[in-house]
Amino acid sequence: MNWLRKVLVSSIGKKVQMGISGLLLCGFLVAHLGGNLLLFVPDGGKAYNEYAHALHTQKLLLPVAEIGLVVLFAWHLLLALTTNKDNADARPVGYALQCSKQEPGPIAKPASSVMMATGAVVFLFLILHLADFRFELRNHGSEGEEPFAKAARLLKDPITCVGYIIGTLVLGYHVLHGFQSAFQSLGLNHPKYTPLIKQASFAFAILVGAGFASLPLWFGMISRH
Amino acid sequence: MTAKLNLTLKVWRQVHAKAKGEFKTYKVHDISPDMSFLEMLDELNNELIRKGEEPVAFDHDCREGICGTCGMMINGQAHGPERLTTTCQLHMRKFKNGDTIVIEPWRARAFPVLRDLVVDRGSFDRIQQAGGYTSINVGNAPDGNSVPIPKTQADPAFASATCLGCGACVAACKNASAMLFVGAKVSQFALLPQGQPERAQRALSMVAQMDEEAFGNCTNTYECEAACPVGISVDNIARLNREYIRASVCSNVMP
Ligand code: HEM
Ligand code: FES
Repeated sequence: MNWLRKVLVSSIGKKVQMGISGLLLCGFLVAHLGGNLLLFVPDGGKAYNEYAHALHTQKLLLPVAEIGLVVLFAWHLLLALTTNKDNADARPVGYALQCSKQEPGPIAKPASSVMMATGAVVFLFLILHLADFRFELRNHGSEGEEPFAKAARLLKDPITCVGYIIGTLVLGYHVLHGFQSAFQSLGLNHPKYTPLIKQASFAFAILVGAGFASLPLWFGMISRH
Repeated sequence: MTAKLNLTLKVWRQVHAKAKGEFKTYKVHDISPDMSFLEMLDELNNELIRKGEEPVAFDHDCREGICGTCGMMINGQAHGPERLTTTCQLHMRKFKNGDTIVIEPWRARAFPVLRDLVVDRGSFDRIQQAGGYTSINVGNAPDGNSVPIPKTQADPAFASATCLGCGACVAACKNASAMLFVGAKVSQFALLPQGQPERAQRALSMVAQMDEEAFGNCTNTYECEAACPVGISVDNIARLNREYIRASVCSNVMP
């Protein structure tokens, strides 16, 4: 099994794992967003409550999914940190002056050069989010509070509201480069499909950014719920 | 006739590999806009020699854009401001009278500075030696039509083979990654029938050597493609990734 270890720690092996972990996280985002948008169903929170209860009664699936997500995030983060260190080591002495030679163009270019920074913001947002919703460390609800009421209450907290808007918009920017980049990392480029993947990446980034940010915006700033 | 240029040059000077280098400022006068960038440096060196100073060391060979020796960082851009151009083919008409030009060597751990603007690109040679060839004995040249290669295959193989090995991709990459170079060198054989027998071994060995030389990891920023003087496309990096996955997961060759 020595060959497997060699492949996994090789530069391209790490790129491939980055691509796979990133795409799996994107898959998680779709599922998570789908559930969250039920908050907007105008039925006094019934649909969202049913969804949340159905999720929480999964006594086996839920812990497995939670552990899976922790592993997935840790994996992505570890790879990010190690490749980032390798990359810094690869150029110990920098340039006095360095300018891009790419045509100044679509916004997708800067996104590629700030992946570590956007990733770090997403990580901070993640901590805040888990502290709020998973562990309820900052704002405790009353006993037997329904999920919809809890979400609406937590999103009214000014730190949560602003933190979530920033966090989710930055997440959108992260996947703007990340989504299409993962395909290149996996060697999946094609004259017919690569342009479509790039457009899909743009659409996905808007969906993720606007989709998630709409919740703190609506419940924290606009709605009187 | 276009007016002559007077320029200020900030040039990296370093006596030897271990020495601490620094930028030195020089003025050059009456530079013809028709000169190449290297001819402008020749003028500077003539002047330095006249004054009894050490001339600036820089690499160059063909001076016609085919050997890839002349790489240097010009105002923060590999091979200077013009796309698809080597330093030797860059003309001084791309600059304006009174400009200040910052000139630095390639910067990467795998490209140590030997002197002034000269770096050791031996790491590229070692990657090439690790597998960037075909070792099968093919005997006499076969009849041209006995190995059919469709044009759709031959053209990208040729495009990959035009890589000069100048190192601009590494120099321009924010991670000092060599994946465009290695991608091109793996692709030029992977696309042709003659490259098939050693296809898996080649991808594995060249990537292993690339990692050994401590180049960085590609983050798909594509600055390499923009800096490449012959326009090697990042498709080569995707192909490299594909070849590596194929070789490590699907072939019976051990990495
Ligand atoms: C739900 C959250 C996240 C999603 C959906 C996500 C998604 C992605 C995707 C799809 C990629 C592209 C992979 C590739 O180019 O092969 C990526 C790359 C990356 N991510 Fe994340 N990510 C998330 C969280 C994070 C976090 C918390 C960090 C921590 C700092 C981070 C740091 C990075 C870095 C440094 C890269 C590498 C950039 C590159 O190689 O170009 N990400 N991410
Ligand atoms: S000196 Fe040969 S390419 Fe410039």
